[in-house]
Amino acid sequence: MNTRRILICTLRWATSATLAVSGYIHAQLWGEEYRSLPVIGLLFLFQASVSLAFAVLLLIGTPPLAVRVGAAGVAAGALVGFVASRTVGLFGFTEHGLQPAPQALLSLLAETATLLLLAVWQATLIAHQRAAGPPARTHEWRPPATRTPSS
Amino acid sequence: MAEYRNSDETHERSTSAQGMSRRQLMRHAGWFGGAVVLTVASGEVISHMAGSRSATAGTAAGAAPASGTLRFVQISDSHIGFQGPANTDVTGSFAEAINQVNSLGFRPDFVMHSGDLTHLSTAGQFDQVRQMMTSLRTDRVFTVPGEHDSIGDAGRAYRRMFAGGTLGDGWYSFDTHGVHFIALVNTLSLEKLGHLGNDQIEFVRRDLSGLSSDTPVVVFSHIPLFAMYPRWGWSTDDALKVIALLRRFASVTCLNGHVHQLFTKAEGNITFHSATTTAYPLPEPGRAPAPTPQVVPARQLKDALGIRTVGYHQGDRELAVIDRRLA
Repeated sequence: MNTRRILICTLRWATSATLAVSGYIHAQLWGEEYRSLPVIGLLFLFQASVSLAFAVLLLIGTPPLAVRVGAAGVAAGALVGFVASRTVGLFGFTEHGLQPAPQALLSLLAETATLLLLAVWQATLIAHQRAAGPPARTHEWRPPATRTPSS
Repeated sequence: MAEYRNSDETHERSTSAQGMSRRQLMRHAGWFGGAVVLTVASGEVISHMAGSRSATAGTAAGAAPASGTLRFVQISDSHIGFQGPANTDVTGSFAEAINQVNSLGFRPDFVMHSGDLTHLSTAGQFDQVRQMMTSLRTDRVFTVPGEHDSIGDAGRAYRRMFAGGTLGDGWYSFDTHGVHFIALVNTLSLEKLGHLGNDQIEFVRRDLSGLSSDTPVVVFSHIPLFAMYPRWGWSTDDALKVIALLRRFASVTCLNGHVHQLFTKAEGNITFHSATTTAYPLPEPGRAPAPTPQVVPARQLKDALGIRTVGYHQGDRELAVIDRRLA
Protein backbone atom coordinates (compact mmCIF):
# COMPACT_ATOMS: atom_id res chain seq x y z
CA MET A 1 0.00 0.00 0.00
CA ASN A 2 1.63 3.25 -1.08
CA THR A 3 1.59 6.53 0.85
CA ARG A 4 -1.27 7.99 -1.16
CA ARG A 5 -3.51 5.01 -0.49
CA ILE A 6 -2.73 5.18 3.23
CA LEU A 7 -3.57 8.89 3.18
CA ILE A 8 -6.88 8.28 1.38
CA CYS A 9 -7.78 5.51 3.80
CA THR A 10 -6.97 7.75 6.79
CA LEU A 11 -9.03 10.60 5.34
CA ARG A 12 -11.94 8.22 4.76
CA TRP A 13 -11.94 6.97 8.34
CA ALA A 14 -11.40 10.42 9.82
CA THR A 15 -14.26 11.89 7.77
CA SER A 16 -16.48 9.01 8.85
CA ALA A 17 -15.61 9.80 12.49
CA THR A 18 -16.34 13.54 12.23
CA LEU A 19 -19.64 12.86 10.44
CA ALA A 20 -20.58 10.34 13.12
CA VAL A 21 -19.81 12.88 15.88
CA SER A 22 -21.92 15.56 14.18
CA GLY A 23 -24.75 13.10 13.59
CA TYR A 24 -24.65 11.84 17.18
CA ILE A 25 -24.75 15.39 18.61
CA HIS A 26 -27.69 16.35 16.42
CA ALA A 27 -29.50 13.12 17.32
CA GLN A 28 -28.92 13.76 21.03
CA LEU A 29 -30.16 17.36 20.81
CA TRP A 30 -33.16 16.27 18.75
CA GLY A 31 -34.09 13.68 21.37
CA GLU A 32 -33.63 16.07 24.28
CA GLU A 33 -35.51 19.13 23.13
CA TYR A 34 -35.24 20.17 19.53
CA ARG A 35 -37.82 17.74 18.22
CA SER A 36 -40.50 20.03 19.65
CA LEU A 37 -39.39 22.84 17.32
CA PRO A 38 -41.37 23.08 14.08
CA VAL A 39 -39.20 22.60 10.96
CA ILE A 40 -35.99 22.85 13.03
CA GLY A 41 -36.79 19.54 14.71
CA LEU A 42 -37.13 17.81 11.33
CA LEU A 43 -33.92 19.42 10.11
CA PHE A 44 -32.05 18.16 13.18
CA LEU A 45 -33.36 14.62 12.64
CA PHE A 46 -32.51 14.79 8.93
CA GLN A 47 -29.01 16.08 9.62
CA ALA A 48 -28.40 13.36 12.20
CA SER A 49 -29.74 10.57 9.96
CA VAL A 50 -27.86 11.63 6.83
CA SER A 51 -24.61 12.25 8.72
CA LEU A 52 -24.74 8.80 10.32
CA ALA A 53 -25.63 7.23 6.95
CA PHE A 54 -22.63 8.86 5.26
CA ALA A 55 -20.43 7.86 8.20
CA VAL A 56 -21.39 4.21 7.68
CA LEU A 57 -20.96 4.45 3.89
CA LEU A 58 -17.46 5.81 4.33
CA LEU A 59 -16.60 2.84 6.50
CA ILE A 60 -17.79 0.44 3.79
CA GLY A 61 -15.61 1.75 1.01
CA THR A 62 -14.33 4.67 -0.99
CA PRO A 63 -17.39 6.47 -2.32
CA PRO A 64 -17.70 8.26 -5.65
CA LEU A 65 -17.45 12.03 -5.85
CA ALA A 66 -21.22 12.51 -5.59
CA VAL A 67 -21.30 10.89 -2.14
CA ARG A 68 -18.37 12.99 -0.93
CA VAL A 69 -20.12 16.11 -2.20
CA GLY A 70 -23.25 14.99 -0.35
CA ALA A 71 -21.28 14.55 2.88
CA ALA A 72 -19.77 18.01 2.43
CA GLY A 73 -23.26 19.40 1.80
CA VAL A 74 -24.58 17.97 5.06
CA ALA A 75 -21.69 19.44 7.05
CA ALA A 76 -21.92 22.79 5.27
CA GLY A 77 -25.70 22.87 5.73
CA ALA A 78 -25.32 22.36 9.47
CA LEU A 79 -22.77 25.19 9.64
CA VAL A 80 -25.01 27.53 7.64
CA GLY A 81 -27.95 26.65 9.90
CA PHE A 82 -25.83 27.36 12.97
CA VAL A 83 -24.81 30.79 11.70
CA ALA A 84 -28.35 31.65 10.58
CA SER A 85 -29.84 30.68 13.94
CA ARG A 86 -27.46 33.11 15.63
CA THR A 87 -27.91 35.98 13.20
CA VAL A 88 -31.07 36.32 11.12
CA GLY A 89 -32.92 33.40 12.70
CA LEU A 90 -33.96 30.15 11.05
CA PHE A 91 -37.67 29.40 10.67
CA GLY A 92 -38.36 31.59 13.70
CA PHE A 93 -35.69 29.86 15.78
CA THR A 94 -32.90 31.83 17.41
CA GLU A 95 -30.08 30.73 19.69
CA HIS A 96 -27.19 32.60 21.22
CA GLY A 97 -23.45 32.01 21.15
CA LEU A 98 -21.98 28.56 21.62
CA GLN A 99 -25.07 27.25 23.37
CA PRO A 100 -26.05 24.57 24.14
CA ALA A 101 -22.62 23.80 25.56
CA PRO A 102 -20.61 21.79 24.81
CA GLN A 103 -22.66 20.38 21.91
CA ALA A 104 -22.62 23.58 19.83
CA LEU A 105 -18.82 23.88 19.88
CA LEU A 106 -18.22 20.16 19.33
CA SER A 107 -20.64 20.13 16.43
CA LEU A 108 -18.97 23.17 14.85
CA LEU A 109 -15.55 21.53 15.17
CA ALA A 110 -16.80 18.23 13.73
CA GLU A 111 -18.47 19.87 10.73
CA THR A 112 -15.51 22.13 10.00
CA ALA A 113 -13.20 19.12 10.25
CA THR A 114 -15.47 17.18 7.85
CA LEU A 115 -15.21 19.94 5.25
CA LEU A 116 -11.45 20.23 5.65
CA LEU A 117 -10.92 16.48 5.42
CA LEU A 118 -13.07 16.22 2.30
CA ALA A 119 -11.23 19.17 0.75
CA VAL A 120 -7.84 17.52 1.44
CA TRP A 121 -9.21 14.25 0.04
CA GLN A 122 -10.30 15.91 -3.17
CA ALA A 123 -7.06 17.85 -3.48
CA THR A 124 -5.11 14.60 -3.08
CA LEU A 125 -7.10 12.96 -5.87
CA ILE A 126 -6.68 15.92 -8.20
CA ALA A 127 -2.96 16.09 -7.51
CA HIS A 128 -2.64 12.39 -8.28
CA GLN A 129 -4.60 12.73 -11.50
CA ARG A 130 -2.39 15.58 -12.65
CA ALA A 131 0.72 13.62 -11.79
CA ALA A 132 -0.61 10.63 -13.73
CA GLY A 133 -1.33 12.75 -16.81
CA PRO A 134 -4.37 12.67 -19.09
CA PRO A 135 -6.26 9.40 -19.39
CA ALA A 136 -5.09 7.06 -22.07
CA ARG A 137 -7.22 7.29 -25.18
CA THR A 138 -9.22 4.24 -25.94
CA HIS A 139 -9.35 3.07 -29.50
CA GLU A 140 -12.70 3.56 -31.02
CA TRP A 141 -14.13 0.54 -32.65
CA ARG A 142 -15.02 1.18 -36.22
CA PRO A 143 -16.97 -1.20 -38.37
CA PRO A 144 -14.85 -2.67 -41.12
CA ALA A 145 -15.23 -0.78 -44.30
CA THR A 146 -16.73 -2.81 -47.04
CA ARG A 147 -15.70 -2.22 -50.46
CA THR A 148 -17.78 -2.93 -53.38
CA PRO A 149 -15.61 -4.29 -56.10
CA SER A 150 -15.74 -2.07 -58.98
CA SER A 151 -17.28 -3.56 -61.91
CA MET B 1 -15.87 -3.14 -4.73
CA ALA B 2 -12.12 -3.66 -4.27
CA GLU B 3 -11.72 -3.46 -8.00
CA TYR B 4 -13.40 -0.06 -8.05
CA ARG B 5 -11.46 1.16 -5.04
CA ASN B 6 -8.27 0.43 -6.83
CA SER B 7 -9.22 2.54 -9.78
CA ASP B 8 -11.37 5.16 -8.13
CA GLU B 9 -9.76 8.22 -9.64
CA THR B 10 -9.40 6.62 -13.03
CA HIS B 11 -13.09 5.92 -13.09
CA GLU B 12 -13.98 9.50 -12.15
CA ARG B 13 -11.69 10.75 -14.81
CA SER B 14 -13.03 8.46 -17.46
CA THR B 15 -16.57 9.36 -16.39
CA SER B 16 -15.95 12.98 -17.12
CA ALA B 17 -14.11 12.20 -20.29
CA GLN B 18 -16.49 9.71 -21.85
CA GLY B 19 -19.75 9.83 -19.87
CA MET B 20 -20.94 7.19 -17.40
CA SER B 21 -20.54 3.55 -18.28
CA ARG B 22 -23.17 1.00 -17.29
CA ARG B 23 -20.87 -0.34 -14.62
CA GLN B 24 -20.34 3.10 -13.15
CA LEU B 25 -24.05 3.81 -13.27
CA MET B 26 -24.68 0.64 -11.28
CA ARG B 27 -22.02 1.66 -8.81
CA HIS B 28 -23.48 5.15 -8.31
CA ALA B 29 -26.96 3.69 -7.96
CA GLY B 30 -25.61 1.34 -5.29
CA TRP B 31 -24.06 4.16 -3.30
CA PHE B 32 -27.15 6.33 -3.66
CA GLY B 33 -29.45 3.50 -2.64
CA GLY B 34 -27.21 2.71 0.29
CA ALA B 35 -27.29 6.33 1.39
CA VAL B 36 -31.09 6.44 1.24
CA VAL B 37 -31.55 3.13 3.06
CA LEU B 38 -29.03 4.05 5.77
CA THR B 39 -30.58 7.52 6.21
CA VAL B 40 -34.04 6.06 6.72
CA ALA B 41 -32.65 3.37 9.04
CA SER B 42 -30.72 5.96 11.08
CA GLY B 43 -33.81 8.13 11.38
CA GLU B 44 -35.82 5.15 12.60
CA VAL B 45 -33.18 4.19 15.16
CA ILE B 46 -32.85 7.78 16.46
CA SER B 47 -36.64 8.17 16.73
CA HIS B 48 -36.98 4.82 18.47
CA MET B 49 -34.19 5.55 20.96
CA ALA B 50 -35.52 9.04 21.74
CA GLY B 51 -39.03 7.64 22.11
CA SER B 52 -37.99 4.91 24.54
CA ARG B 53 -35.90 7.39 26.53
CA SER B 54 -38.90 9.77 26.83
CA ALA B 55 -41.11 6.90 27.93
CA THR B 56 -38.59 5.88 30.60
CA ALA B 57 -38.24 9.46 31.83
CA GLY B 58 -42.00 9.88 31.79
CA THR B 59 -42.53 6.77 33.87
CA ALA B 60 -39.84 7.78 36.32
CA ALA B 61 -40.67 11.43 36.76
CA GLY B 62 -44.05 12.19 35.26
CA ALA B 63 -42.54 13.41 32.00
CA ALA B 64 -40.33 15.84 33.86
CA PRO B 65 -36.87 16.50 32.46
CA ALA B 66 -34.01 14.40 33.76
CA SER B 67 -32.82 15.44 37.20
CA GLY B 68 -29.94 17.88 37.07
CA THR B 69 -31.45 19.56 34.02
CA LEU B 70 -33.35 22.79 34.47
CA ARG B 71 -35.76 23.97 31.81
CA PHE B 72 -37.89 27.03 32.13
CA VAL B 73 -39.88 29.30 29.86
CA GLN B 74 -39.98 33.08 29.61
CA ILE B 75 -43.07 34.73 28.20
CA SER B 76 -43.43 38.47 28.14
CA ASP B 77 -45.55 41.50 27.38
CA SER B 78 -48.92 39.84 26.86
CA HIS B 79 -50.66 43.25 27.22
CA ILE B 80 -54.03 41.66 27.90
CA GLY B 81 -56.62 44.35 27.20
CA PHE B 82 -54.69 46.03 24.37
CA GLN B 83 -56.93 47.08 21.52
CA GLY B 84 -55.42 48.34 18.31
CA PRO B 85 -54.58 47.43 14.74
CA ALA B 86 -51.12 46.12 15.73
CA ASN B 87 -52.88 43.05 17.14
CA THR B 88 -56.65 42.89 17.28
CA ASP B 89 -56.58 39.71 19.40
CA VAL B 90 -53.85 39.82 22.03
CA THR B 91 -55.83 37.37 24.15
CA GLY B 92 -55.81 34.86 21.29
CA SER B 93 -52.07 35.38 20.78
CA PHE B 94 -51.41 34.82 24.48
CA ALA B 95 -53.55 31.68 24.40
CA GLU B 96 -51.47 30.44 21.45
CA ALA B 97 -48.29 31.14 23.41
CA ILE B 98 -49.65 29.13 26.34
CA ASN B 99 -50.54 26.27 23.99
CA GLN B 100 -47.04 26.41 22.59
CA VAL B 101 -45.56 26.16 26.09
CA ASN B 102 -47.86 23.22 26.83
CA SER B 103 -46.77 21.40 23.69
CA LEU B 104 -43.03 21.89 24.01
CA GLY B 105 -42.47 18.17 24.48
CA PHE B 106 -41.23 18.67 28.05
CA ARG B 107 -42.74 20.12 31.19
CA PRO B 108 -40.85 23.28 32.12
CA ASP B 109 -39.77 23.60 35.75
CA PHE B 110 -41.36 27.02 35.82
CA VAL B 111 -42.66 29.79 33.60
CA MET B 112 -41.64 33.41 34.12
CA HIS B 113 -43.82 36.21 32.76
CA SER B 114 -41.48 39.16 32.57
CA GLY B 115 -44.02 41.94 32.82
CA ASP B 116 -46.75 43.91 31.11
CA LEU B 117 -49.18 41.11 31.82
CA THR B 118 -51.98 43.61 31.27
CA HIS B 119 -52.28 46.73 29.18
CA LEU B 120 -54.13 49.01 31.58
CA SER B 121 -53.89 47.33 35.01
CA THR B 122 -57.64 46.88 35.40
CA ALA B 123 -58.95 44.25 37.78
CA GLY B 124 -60.63 42.45 34.88
CA GLN B 125 -57.40 42.29 32.88
CA PHE B 126 -55.42 41.01 35.87
CA ASP B 127 -58.09 38.39 36.51
CA GLN B 128 -58.11 37.32 32.87
CA VAL B 129 -54.33 36.93 32.59
CA ARG B 130 -54.19 34.99 35.87
CA GLN B 131 -56.96 32.68 34.70
CA MET B 132 -55.16 32.08 31.43
CA MET B 133 -51.85 31.34 33.12
CA THR B 134 -53.43 28.68 35.32
CA SER B 135 -53.60 26.53 32.17
CA LEU B 136 -49.81 26.52 31.84
CA ARG B 137 -48.51 22.99 32.38
CA THR B 138 -45.70 23.77 34.76
CA ASP B 139 -44.89 23.50 38.43
CA ARG B 140 -44.79 27.24 39.12
CA VAL B 141 -45.54 30.53 37.42
CA PHE B 142 -43.48 33.59 38.39
CA THR B 143 -44.00 37.18 37.33
CA VAL B 144 -42.36 40.58 37.51
CA PRO B 145 -44.43 43.70 36.87
CA GLY B 146 -44.20 45.92 33.82
CA GLU B 147 -45.06 49.60 33.76
CA HIS B 148 -48.44 48.68 32.23
CA ASP B 149 -49.19 46.65 35.38
CA SER B 150 -48.96 49.64 37.71
CA ILE B 151 -51.02 52.29 35.98
CA GLY B 152 -52.77 54.57 38.42
CA ASP B 153 -52.16 52.59 41.62
CA ALA B 154 -48.36 52.22 41.87
CA GLY B 155 -48.68 48.46 41.38
CA ARG B 156 -51.03 47.69 44.29
CA ALA B 157 -53.48 45.63 42.19
CA TYR B 158 -50.58 43.69 40.68
CA ARG B 159 -49.06 42.96 44.07
CA ARG B 160 -52.39 41.81 45.52
CA MET B 161 -52.75 39.24 42.77
CA PHE B 162 -49.20 38.18 41.93
CA ALA B 163 -46.77 39.28 44.62
CA GLY B 164 -47.68 37.04 47.54
CA GLY B 165 -44.61 36.05 49.52
CA THR B 166 -42.36 38.64 47.92
CA LEU B 167 -40.34 41.43 49.50
CA GLY B 168 -40.60 45.22 49.20
CA ASP B 169 -42.52 46.21 46.10
CA GLY B 170 -42.60 42.66 44.78
CA TRP B 171 -38.96 41.59 44.36
CA TYR B 172 -37.77 38.14 45.36
CA SER B 173 -35.20 35.43 44.78
CA PHE B 174 -35.16 31.65 44.71
CA ASP B 175 -32.84 28.73 43.95
CA THR B 176 -33.35 25.64 41.87
CA HIS B 177 -31.05 23.15 40.10
CA GLY B 178 -28.01 24.98 41.45
CA VAL B 179 -29.01 28.28 39.82
CA HIS B 180 -29.84 31.41 41.82
CA PHE B 181 -32.72 33.48 40.43
CA ILE B 182 -33.49 37.10 41.28
CA ALA B 183 -36.68 38.84 40.14
CA LEU B 184 -36.44 42.63 40.21
CA VAL B 185 -39.01 45.40 39.94
CA ASN B 186 -37.78 48.39 37.93
CA THR B 187 -41.08 49.82 36.72
CA LEU B 188 -42.66 51.43 39.75
CA SER B 189 -40.78 54.68 40.26
CA LEU B 190 -39.69 55.25 36.72
CA GLU B 191 -39.47 58.73 35.28
CA LYS B 192 -38.13 57.99 31.87
CA LEU B 193 -35.81 55.08 32.55
CA GLY B 194 -36.40 52.05 34.73
CA HIS B 195 -35.45 52.46 38.37
CA LEU B 196 -34.61 49.96 41.10
CA GLY B 197 -34.15 52.14 44.18
CA ASN B 198 -31.83 51.80 47.14
CA ASP B 199 -34.00 49.32 49.05
CA GLN B 200 -33.97 46.88 46.16
CA ILE B 201 -30.26 47.32 45.50
CA GLU B 202 -29.62 46.62 49.19
CA PHE B 203 -31.78 43.50 48.87
CA VAL B 204 -29.65 42.31 45.95
CA ARG B 205 -26.45 43.02 47.87
CA ARG B 206 -27.60 40.95 50.85
CA ASP B 207 -29.10 38.27 48.62
CA LEU B 208 -25.86 37.71 46.73
CA SER B 209 -23.53 38.02 49.70
CA GLY B 210 -23.77 34.37 50.71
CA LEU B 211 -23.35 32.93 47.22
CA SER B 212 -20.14 31.49 45.88
CA SER B 213 -18.86 33.10 42.69
CA ASP B 214 -19.32 29.96 40.63
CA THR B 215 -23.08 29.88 41.21
CA PRO B 216 -24.93 30.67 37.96
CA VAL B 217 -27.18 33.69 38.52
CA VAL B 218 -30.26 34.62 36.50
CA VAL B 219 -31.83 38.06 36.91
CA PHE B 220 -35.34 38.85 35.68
CA SER B 221 -36.61 42.38 35.17
CA HIS B 222 -39.12 44.02 32.89
CA ILE B 223 -37.06 46.96 31.64
CA PRO B 224 -33.54 46.09 30.43
CA LEU B 225 -30.78 46.46 33.01
CA PHE B 226 -28.42 47.48 30.21
CA ALA B 227 -28.60 50.63 28.10
CA MET B 228 -30.44 49.22 25.11
CA TYR B 229 -31.85 52.57 23.97
CA PRO B 230 -32.12 55.15 26.78
CA ARG B 231 -33.81 57.73 24.50
CA TRP B 232 -36.88 55.49 24.55
CA GLY B 233 -36.50 54.60 28.20
CA TRP B 234 -35.02 51.20 27.38
CA SER B 235 -32.57 51.18 30.25
CA THR B 236 -32.50 51.31 34.07
CA ASP B 237 -30.89 54.38 35.59
CA ASP B 238 -29.39 52.74 38.68
CA ALA B 239 -28.76 49.24 37.24
CA LEU B 240 -24.99 49.71 37.30
CA LYS B 241 -25.04 49.29 41.08
CA VAL B 242 -26.60 45.85 40.64
CA ILE B 243 -24.32 45.01 37.72
CA ALA B 244 -21.33 45.81 39.95
CA LEU B 245 -22.61 43.31 42.51
CA LEU B 246 -23.01 40.66 39.80
CA ARG B 247 -19.57 41.02 38.22
CA ARG B 248 -17.86 38.56 40.54
CA PHE B 249 -20.05 35.69 39.36
CA ALA B 250 -18.78 33.42 36.60
CA SER B 251 -22.10 33.31 34.78
CA VAL B 252 -24.89 35.88 34.96
CA THR B 253 -27.89 35.86 32.63
CA CYS B 254 -30.22 38.86 32.67
CA LEU B 255 -33.61 38.25 31.03
CA ASN B 256 -35.97 41.15 30.36
CA GLY B 257 -39.04 42.09 28.38
CA HIS B 258 -40.41 45.58 27.63
CA VAL B 259 -38.79 46.11 24.22
CA HIS B 260 -40.94 43.55 22.35
CA GLN B 261 -38.00 42.25 20.30
CA LEU B 262 -35.06 39.94 20.58
CA PHE B 263 -31.76 41.48 21.51
CA THR B 264 -28.64 40.04 23.11
CA LYS B 265 -25.63 41.75 24.58
CA ALA B 266 -22.66 40.38 26.52
CA GLU B 267 -20.50 42.31 28.98
CA GLY B 268 -17.82 40.04 30.37
CA ASN B 269 -19.55 37.24 32.23
CA ILE B 270 -22.93 38.97 32.11
CA THR B 271 -25.26 38.31 29.19
CA PHE B 272 -28.42 40.31 28.59
CA HIS B 273 -31.30 38.84 26.61
CA SER B 274 -34.32 40.94 25.70
CA ALA B 275 -37.37 38.79 24.93
CA THR B 276 -40.03 39.33 22.35
CA THR B 277 -43.71 39.72 23.12
CA THR B 278 -46.89 37.76 22.68
CA ALA B 279 -48.85 40.91 21.83
CA TYR B 280 -47.46 43.30 19.18
CA PRO B 281 -44.07 44.36 17.83
CA LEU B 282 -42.31 47.62 18.61
CA PRO B 283 -39.86 49.31 16.23
CA GLU B 284 -36.16 48.66 16.41
CA PRO B 285 -34.31 51.34 18.38
CA GLY B 286 -34.24 54.63 16.49
CA ARG B 287 -36.17 53.24 13.50
CA ALA B 288 -39.28 55.27 14.37
CA PRO B 289 -40.01 58.55 16.15
CA ALA B 290 -41.32 56.69 19.21
CA PRO B 291 -41.71 53.11 20.46
CA THR B 292 -45.32 52.75 19.37
CA PRO B 293 -47.05 49.49 18.37
CA GLN B 294 -46.12 48.50 14.84
CA VAL B 295 -48.74 47.35 12.40
CA VAL B 296 -47.34 44.56 10.25
CA PRO B 297 -49.10 42.38 7.69
CA ALA B 298 -51.18 39.70 9.44
CA ARG B 299 -48.95 36.91 8.17
CA GLN B 300 -45.87 38.57 9.62
CA LEU B 301 -47.32 39.21 13.04
CA LYS B 302 -46.58 35.71 14.34
CA ASP B 303 -42.99 36.07 13.16
CA ALA B 304 -42.58 38.96 15.58
CA LEU B 305 -44.21 37.20 18.53
CA GLY B 306 -42.81 34.27 20.46
CA ILE B 307 -41.70 32.52 23.59
CA ARG B 308 -38.30 31.67 25.03
CA THR B 309 -37.05 28.45 26.56
CA VAL B 310 -33.95 28.34 28.74
CA GLY B 311 -32.04 25.19 29.62
CA TYR B 312 -29.30 24.53 32.13
CA HIS B 313 -27.42 21.33 32.90
CA GLN B 314 -25.95 21.26 36.37
CA GLY B 315 -22.23 21.75 36.17
CA ASP B 316 -22.40 23.79 32.96
CA ARG B 317 -21.16 27.33 33.04
CA GLU B 318 -23.86 28.99 30.96
CA LEU B 319 -27.55 28.68 30.26
CA ALA B 320 -28.84 27.83 26.79
CA VAL B 321 -31.39 30.38 25.58
CA ILE B 322 -33.67 29.44 22.68
CA ASP B 323 -36.17 31.88 21.22
CA ARG B 324 -39.12 30.46 19.33
CA ARG B 325 -41.50 32.20 17.00
CA LEU B 326 -45.16 31.83 17.90
CA ALA B 327 -46.19 28.57 16.25
